[in-house]
Amino acid sequence: MCWVRAVSIWRSLELEENLPPEVAKPSKRKTGENENIVTKKLKIEQTLAMPGDAECQLEKQNSDKMEEHKDLTTEKENFQEEKSENDGEKEVEHHQGKLTFRVSCRCSGTIAKTFTTEEVGRVIGIALIKQFGWKADLRNPSLEIFIHLNDIYSVVGIPVFRLPLASRAYIKVAGLRSTIAWTMASLAEINVGAVVLDPMCGLGTILLEAAKEWPNASYLGADVSDSQLLGAFDNLKSAGLMDRIELFKFCVTELPLLSQSVDVIISDVPFGKKFKLGKDIKSVLHEMERVLCVGGTIVLLLSEDLHKYLQDYKESNITWNSSKDSTDEFKIVKYVNAEEKNRIQENVSSSFQDVRQECLDKRPLFGTLVQMECHKVSLGRTEAFISKYKKIHASELQQPS
Amino acid sequence: MRAQAGMKLLTHNLLSSHVRGVGPRGFPLRIQATEIRVSPVDFNPDFVTRMIPKMEWAALVEAAESLGHLSELPRQLEEGYEKDEDFLRKVHHVLLEVEVVEGTLQCPESGRVFPISRGIPNMLLSDEEAAS
Repeated sequence: MCWVRAVSIWRSLELEENLPPEVAKPSKRKTGENENIVTKKLKIEQTLAMPGDAECQLEKQNSDKMEEHKDLTTEKENFQEEKSENDGEKEVEHHQGKLTFRVSCRCSGTIAKTFTTEEVGRVIGIALIKQFGWKADLRNPSLEIFIHLNDIYSVVGIPVFRLPLASRAYIKVAGLRSTIAWTMASLAEINVGAVVLDPMCGLGTILLEAAKEWPNASYLGADVSDSQLLGAFDNLKSAGLMDRIELFKFCVTELPLLSQSVDVIISDVPFGKKFKLGKDIKSVLHEMERVLCVGGTIVLLLSEDLHKYLQDYKESNITWNSSKDSTDEFKIVKYVNAEEKNRIQENVSSSFQDVRQECLDKRPLFGTLVQMECHKVSLGRTEAFISKYKKIHASELQQPS
Repeated sequence: MRAQAGMKLLTHNLLSSHVRGVGPRGFPLRIQATEIRVSPVDFNPDFVTRMIPKMEWAALVEAAESLGHLSELPRQLEEGYEKDEDFLRKVHHVLLEVEVVEGTLQCPESGRVFPISRGIPNMLLSDEEAAS
């Protein structure tokens, strides 16, 4: 039974954790560097209020929900994309025999309109008591059950770490959440010897995560704000990454870089609430496209509005092309069809083969930038999109005749 | 001792002036350094090997020379450099271990000067100067 296995895995990890604070990092996860354990006070989303009586009609719904839960390994990877908030207040005590537990629940999306978090939490709590005979303890449980329901996933899991996944000992001034930054960097395909640019780096969070995990690349960060650059410099110093990351003061719409000199661009595009994106997103993309090498990758964090704007822009390009009226100053062209692709095969070098395979059926967003993937992420109160693009060879596009 | 950082020659090799009308003649920027820092960086031959093809070799040599750190770097790239560890170490030193902390970068075409202060080059253009 899934639950029993999960709890036994949790138990064995708990035993490891009761060693000195230098916790070993499991391969895929991103954890805090625990040299100086700073116990952060963390927000617990919703805690269960336990009623004495069972509610029969909810029980059926409960068994449906149990069907949906993923196993612990997948759930670990989900932690990277979704927020996980753990109780950081006290040391967990081991209880012999019966476990005490608490359910922490978070619902978003359409399910939040049907059930309240209290209802969901209650239902799960009751089911667990009935199934295992565990006792509920809201103050100091030995086991915490974390539930996150949204439109895409149902996650049921047991948090393993005291601190949030995103906590970093080396970040002095926090900007973007580190887990999001790390996710963006992992999508970006940073190879050895890559030149990686963040032209709106702010406090440097993305570069920090990328440089820590993929150290054998060259990292450049730029911002227009002196205060941000100073903050970034402090963070770099704290993290011991001054040798790997270089900072500049320049503007993303006027990149003082040679064309096709950068392999990877990763950036959190300002949302307009905290920062002002004065220039048009199109001029930003234009410059990014120019400095990017063919086969290079762009990963952007976009607000919902910005994402929608770009989607609409992409769709409208296709209409323009079919009407053969290419008046766009940036020369958006129609994507090559299957017959053309075969003819081009000989001209394209092998390193582009892979790129082309990936780009099949993908419409160009912008010039030679093709959208590869897009992931919706939650940033707490707001939602955003991580969008990945690749630059393809101009010969893979076809001019409308 | 306050920690310093600076612009490396690897990055300098990618920088180009974006002043209006200058185009490709904005490269390479002329370095004038008033404070240089040399600090050891871990040698990774794979990294260096992959970086070399991305570099404008003549510009790199010129820049290293202007800083007084040419260190026997050959003026021309020779074939088979990937296997020459001695050579790779010299390139590693020039690319990564020499940093400009204070100084200026000058556009060879327009003469516009970009200051480097506390290791951070300021290449922000005013609206009139900008290309677009």
